[in-house]
Amino acid sequence: MFSVLSYGRLVARAVLGGLSQTDPRAGGGGGGGDYGLVTAGCGFGKDFRKGLLKKGACYGDDACFVARHRSADVLGVADGVGGWRDYGVDPSQFSGTLMRTCERLVKEGRFVPSNPIGILTTSYCELLQNKVPLLGSSTACIVVLDRTSHRLHTANLGDSGFLVVRGGEVVHRSDEQQHYFNTPFQLSIAPPEAEGVVLSDSPDAADSTSFDVQLGDIILTATDGLFDNMPDYMILQELKKLKNSNYESIQQTARSIAEQAHELAYDPNYMSPFAQFACDNGLNVRGGKPDDITVLLSIVAEYTD
Amino acid sequence: MSPVFPMLTVLTMFYYLCLRRRARTAARGEMTNSHRTIESNSRTSPLNAEVVQYAKEVVDFSSHYGSENSMSYTMWNLAGVPNVFPSSGDFTQTAVFRTYGTWWDQCPSASLPFKRTPPDFQSQDYVELTFEQQVYPTAVHVLETYHPGAVIRILACSANPYSPSPPAEVSRWEILWSERPTKVNASQARQFKPCIKQINFPTNLIRLEVNSSLLDYYTELDAVVLHGMKDKPLLSLKTSLIDMNDLEEDDYEEKDGCGMDNLNKKLSSTALGEGPNNGYFDKLPYELIQLILNHLTLPDLCRLAQTCKLLNQHCYDPLQYIHLNLQPYWAKLNDTSLEFLQTRCTLVQWLNLSWTGNRGFISVAGFSRFLKVCGSELVRLELSCSHFLNETCLEIISETCPDLQELNLSSCDKLPAQAFNHIAKLCGLKRLVLYRTKVEQTALLSILNFCSELQHLSLGSCVMIEDYDVIASMIGAKCKKLRTLDLWRCKNITENGIAELASGCPLLEELDLGWCPTLQSSTGCFAKLARQLPNLQKLFLTANRSVCDTDIEELACNCTRLRQLDILGTRMVSPGSLRKLLESCKDLSLLDVSFCSQIDNRAVLEFNGSFPKVFIKKSFTQ
Repeated sequence: MFSVLSYGRLVARAVLGGLSQTDPRAGGGGGGGDYGLVTAGCGFGKDFRKGLLKKGACYGDDACFVARHRSADVLGVADGVGGWRDYGVDPSQFSGTLMRTCERLVKEGRFVPSNPIGILTTSYCELLQNKVPLLGSSTACIVVLDRTSHRLHTANLGDSGFLVVRGGEVVHRSDEQQHYFNTPFQLSIAPPEAEGVVLSDSPDAADSTSFDVQLGDIILTATDGLFDNMPDYMILQELKKLKNSNYESIQQTARSIAEQAHELAYDPNYMSPFAQFACDNGLNVRGGKPDDITVLLSIVAEYTD
Repeated sequence: MSPVFPMLTVLTMFYYLCLRRRARTAARGEMTNSHRTIESNSRTSPLNAEVVQYAKEVVDFSSHYGSENSMSYTMWNLAGVPNVFPSSGDFTQTAVFRTYGTWWDQCPSASLPFKRTPPDFQSQDYVELTFEQQVYPTAVHVLETYHPGAVIRILACSANPYSPSPPAEVSRWEILWSERPTKVNASQARQFKPCIKQINFPTNLIRLEVNSSLLDYYTELDAVVLHGMKDKPLLSLKTSLIDMNDLEEDDYEEKDGCGMDNLNKKLSSTALGEGPNNGYFDKLPYELIQLILNHLTLPDLCRLAQTCKLLNQHCYDPLQYIHLNLQPYWAKLNDTSLEFLQTRCTLVQWLNLSWTGNRGFISVAGFSRFLKVCGSELVRLELSCSHFLNETCLEIISETCPDLQELNLSSCDKLPAQAFNHIAKLCGLKRLVLYRTKVEQTALLSILNFCSELQHLSLGSCVMIEDYDVIASMIGAKCKKLRTLDLWRCKNITENGIAELASGCPLLEELDLGWCPTLQSSTGCFAKLARQLPNLQKLFLTANRSVCDTDIEELACNCTRLRQLDILGTRMVSPGSLRKLLESCKDLSLLDVSFCSQIDNRAVLEFNGSFPKVFIKKSFTQ
């Protein structure tokens, strides 16, 4: 009888042990597993070039990146300041290099998920380490999803930004940072003779927020080309059409948002948010705002390798 | 009992074991993808698959171009998958060493080479990489993306840096491949696949040694790939037998396995019996034999000592060990070797222990013992990358070597800051190299205060110094005899520091201010520099974006002895002012105008035509 019990215990241990070890990644229940972002993007340069986003790309003077790391998913957008063109500097070089450097930082793990401003600061310092004399400026917005803590950490410098939508409503949004009208906060590298004259904000001036996210939350990160042309309710309307969290449907929604913003930008009679804001400040304007548009649409989902 | 129970037991155990095994492999599923296994389709057993790995980590290196804590042009880029290959060009995501060509041997700060260096030791820099898994290497590929051809030696170590327990036996290094530096004609990217020797131990620690003297510009490396077998291939036994008889290369390092014992055996005294007279050797004057033996390298000297009593006496004469270069033997030198050498090295004046002693080969006690016996006459001490050093060692150096004139602690980045306090006691110092060390401000100020004989000082990449203006003004006040100064990547030096330097050290012939972003030409600091330092032969203003035509013209007027000038990355210098410089400075041999937007390739071609003796460097990214 004694041996019956010991055999029974052995069987029980084997069976139960097996059950709990077969799939360690299933997670111990609803919110226990790691989260990830499924991201797709779309954009339009000001000169009518269409673009389908893969991982990192430039749309006109805008640039963006999407990067994965073991501990976090990170994405970012940067809006190159077009005024440099008048001085013979290509504005997309700065924003593009900034985003590519951020991407590389993330891939190599040289960042802390809870410190997105650190990503901006390190990336900006790395730009100065380049032999090539980079010039230009851009805004920047970085969004980091910490897989295990389920928190979203963001850093925003300038007038690009993000929205977090849950259950059809905006639950978090970034604030625009402007010095004065149409002059957002910006990271910049100026030629030595113009150092005091060119607007240059420190990465520390970025706004940083952290909050919890849930499965199914939609995060929309975009440059001001989107927010200046499409008010919230239109964006939310488009997002309602997003049915599931697979890549193709996110891609389609991102594209439709970008396309709609692009069309509205060139509509001379439409009262865009930009025109509304200008009117509120005493400028009598109407119509959309032609600008580079970059849209990165993400959904918080279970993390799969 | 019924037969059910034993069967149930067996089935249960079987089930349990299978699940445990599955669970173990499932936990390892999170492997990074720098690592994959290829099933070889040879007749070897299916379990002996070939493993291809990229480097996991860079653990040690002698120098690099980039800044500490950066990922641009730094050695850490050598780990992981390639970022640039197969593109060619000067990219930030690659690993770049600090020097190239022979330019650093031609400038005023160049130190004299040690005589009696074995002709096949030509390594100037090294980098050590670890890999995830230990394998028996079958191939090592180096992805070079710019000016290839620097790698001249590849070694493997038997130690596993990731094993939690200390190694069972003493770790050893084995040369997988070695060759003299050869000129590679293209500057394009290539995947370098040397034919490596098979070794009989598994390894995950690889070392590359490079020599950049034949290169036209900085070499850049992107990644290293290690191919190997998890299990010992059967051929290895045969090749090791061949090696024992392989006397093709007159280098005892090739015949290894028991290399360390070999060296130590040679160094240890051996009893020699009485023999017949020494023939003509008895007729030659003592000094003449000494002069002949002066040409032998250290291992040959040790072998010769075993031939007869007379030559034994000659080979043990301390006069043979006045200049002692132990760097070529870094892979084997240990405490025992130092002990055997001790008795003959009492008069040593130049000692090179660079690269030696790492991974426990030399202990603090062993080094201290050696120095106490042999240090009193020391004039020059090279300790670059000697990671066994600690504060005690520096203290002993300062106490036993009062006449020390040259001290090189380049890349000793593990030395604690307080160790440098002892250097101030060496008042006769003429050359001090602290490149990439953690020396702090107070210690350095103290050194500058007391070492007023300093002629050559290197503070490149000394990141722990808080205020370089204070340092510069101390140098200007105290080191009047200074001839060369390396302030590469000194982050916060301003025009005030430069002014004090220029006025205090008029004998300056060489000044490296590369990557010092806080210097602004608009303050007139470069113009002042040019006017106050007429003896300048080398000036590096790398990546100072404010260098302009006025500065070049001032240099042309005042520094006619200029030989090397680097103005990489400025937009404000035009071909006109460069032409004036080239006409005025007849000795100019190196001019680096990479990434100077006003100097295009056509201008460079024109200059090459008019000034054929000048090497004008123009790097590119794509």
